[in-house]
Amino acid sequence: MKESLLEILCCPLDKHDLELEDAEYATDDDGDETDEIVAGVLVCSECGERYPIEDGIPNLLPPDMREETPA
Amino acid sequence: MGILENKARARLFYKYLSKVYDQVNPFIWNEEMRADALELLDLEADATVLDVGCGTGFATEGLLEHVDEVYALDQSEHQLEQAYAKLGKRAPPVHFHRGDAERLPFATDTFDVVWSSGSIEYWPNPILALREFRRVLKPGGQVLVVGPNYPDSFVAQKLADSIMLFYDEYEADRMFKRAGFEDVKHLFQGPSYDPDVAITTIGRAPE
Repeated sequence: MKESLLEILCCPLDKHDLELEDAEYATDDDGDETDEIVAGVLVCSECGERYPIEDGIPNLLPPDMREETPA
Repeated sequence: MGILENKARARLFYKYLSKVYDQVNPFIWNEEMRADALELLDLEADATVLDVGCGTGFATEGLLEHVDEVYALDQSEHQLEQAYAKLGKRAPPVHFHRGDAERLPFATDTFDVVWSSGSIEYWPNPILALREFRRVLKPGGQVLVVGPNYPDSFVAQKLADSIMLFYDEYEADRMFKRAGFEDVKHLFQGPSYDPDVAITTIGRAPE
């Protein structure tokens, strides 16, 4: 996901802002970091719910709809 | 309401249905119907567009004939994998997300257009989802939803009622108005052998 996407994303449960933690960025051909986030966690600034970024795709399913067991 | 009222059951049913979805889907929703539906929208190239329940990306592809970028969301990783294969996993042109139509992960007043085709029949509470669409739309923004029209025959009606949501234009009108949309209009679409199998509804978020 593009870092700029953070401006429009929110917690699906309470609609508060999300904060990016443990972000890993893709690198370009010169080895410089790009604005493409490939891994990390989006954390709700209000309820603390954590939403993983998996291979660049933010998984914003509410916890009751996630198939995986949280790590 | 049929058995899909319960959300866990809906997901189970959806998992089962996704196995046959690609064989079934072309008969009820094809490129010609998609083009006709797209004509109902005011799409500028730089419009901010959300495709809810993008699935394998069929409508996303159509939207990209009109706009530069699309924000797409689906709950199913399996269906999204097919969309990635067609459209690439990285934006541009598509910003993909996993998420729930009834609890959208987007800020209020974000989109010019919210589109959803072939998804509403799986939502346990369509009015909740439609209210979320209105919330994320900018004032005056357009919504377009394609769903299955309620069948005419008695046997088909019984089958429809027992498995999932089908609705006619009166029901669609009620749902969209309860969700707060204005200028609600309906279009029936389908292939020549079944010309009103799909109902497409458009509306606007209040200014």
